[in-house]
Amino acid sequence: MSIFEYNGSALVAMVGKNCFAIASDRRLGVQLQTIATDFQRISKIHDRLFLGLSGLATDAQTLYQRLVFRHKLYQLREERDMKPETFANLVSAILYEKRFGPYFCQPVIAGLGDEDKPFICTMDSIGAKELAKDFVVAGTASESLYGACESMFKDDMEPEELFETISQALLSSVDRDCLSGWGGHVYLVTPTEVKERILKGRMD
Amino acid sequence: MKLDTSGLESAAPVWGAPSELVDGFSAAPSFEVPNTTDFDGFQKEAIQMVKPAKGTTTLAFIFKEGVMVAADSRASMGGYISSQSVKKIIEINPYMLGTMAGGAADCQFWHRNLGIKCRLHELANKRRISVTGASKLLANILYSYRGMGLSVGTMIAGWDETGPGLYYVDSEGGRLKGMHFSVGSGSPYAYGVLDNGYRYDMSVEEAAELARRSIYHATFRDGASGGVASVYYVGPNGWKKLSGDDVGELHYEYYPVMPSTVEQEMVEVGGA
Repeated sequence: MSIFEYNGSALVAMVGKNCFAIASDRRLGVQLQTIATDFQRISKIHDRLFLGLSGLATDAQTLYQRLVFRHKLYQLREERDMKPETFANLVSAILYEKRFGPYFCQPVIAGLGDEDKPFICTMDSIGAKELAKDFVVAGTASESLYGACESMFKDDMEPEELFETISQALLSSVDRDCLSGWGGHVYLVTPTEVKERILKGRMD
Repeated sequence: MKLDTSGLESAAPVWGAPSELVDGFSAAPSFEVPNTTDFDGFQKEAIQMVKPAKGTTTLAFIFKEGVMVAADSRASMGGYISSQSVKKIIEINPYMLGTMAGGAADCQFWHRNLGIKCRLHELANKRRISVTGASKLLANILYSYRGMGLSVGTMIAGWDETGPGLYYVDSEGGRLKGMHFSVGSGSPYAYGVLDNGYRYDMSVEEAAELARRSIYHATFRDGASGGVASVYYVGPNGWKKLSGDDVGELHYEYYPVMPSTVEQEMVEVGGA
């Protein structure tokens, strides 16, 4: 099993009507052994910007700490929060700095930009950005997630319907992956509120 | 911004005199290589060392009333789950069961072959074969294929004239008689629960619950085990399937969701 499959992870972000949802699994493992079932993979950068990091857990934690540091400096200098597009560029640059000794992570960035327009993107481990209008996936269950999202996704979903869709896509995909699952964690973000929900899933 | 080139610098010394081509550049990008004479062999050994054990959990134990046999039902190919409904307990004949761990095709074929040989023994000797005899037949066949790549880690459980019998047989040619065994990548977790709750004089229901719980705990911790926990009982009248519970539902049965204390709750503020 490769280094990206050492800890196991599943991440997905979807765009709805003036809202977005980002979801992850909750397992932290060491190859086949499950160590924790409440691992946080999605972190808040600011109220309208969330970052999910899949792949090697130690690199995900370190990368997250570096990005929070850079964002705090930005807030002090610019006296405002970073736009999602700008943050995506920052992540891409930080990943490419380590081109010949990379962080073994795949980030998923989701945020609300100007005029509450949802923005999602993912990257490979050396910073190649992939912008999408509908959904992005990452992690060991990514192939199953692509299939599930492709079939379940519809344009312009309202927040409640978006939550249902992303939850079903996540749970059905991790049920086909040995290394991810053991519950789910969904953040639904609209211009006025952030709803955090834990999903009840198969614990095997 | 200045590119971080720390990944390009190499710890290994540069061989030979520096030429004009190399001048001005740091040493060629490289990484540390272990100091051994046979690097390919070393690499192969390293890969084999971390190769995961047979991805499954099966267990069997003898108790006062007979033999209890249990297994999960997941088949995995690396990280991908290929099936959640594999039959890992194979019915060799009405009074003997075999468990499957390792290569599915190997286990299915050789267990069926064993069933044929047991039936032939019955016809030739006008009496049923003992569990000792059946396990020896299988062990000898597997020993003759030793080194050819068969992957079989099985337990033969049955009831014969001498009472309950349980043997562990594997594709290396090993054959062990015992009171309890667990085979597969989830076996350490199953052993933990099994060893803790085991008593020789249990009733059939207690033994079945112990077997079911052991499989459930193994599916929780082991990524390569899951699906359905099947439990079979072998008694004086042959084997009987007791239960096949989905472990996803077993989890919430054993550990129901408790409403947690609310830490932060937002309430509607009355109109100002």
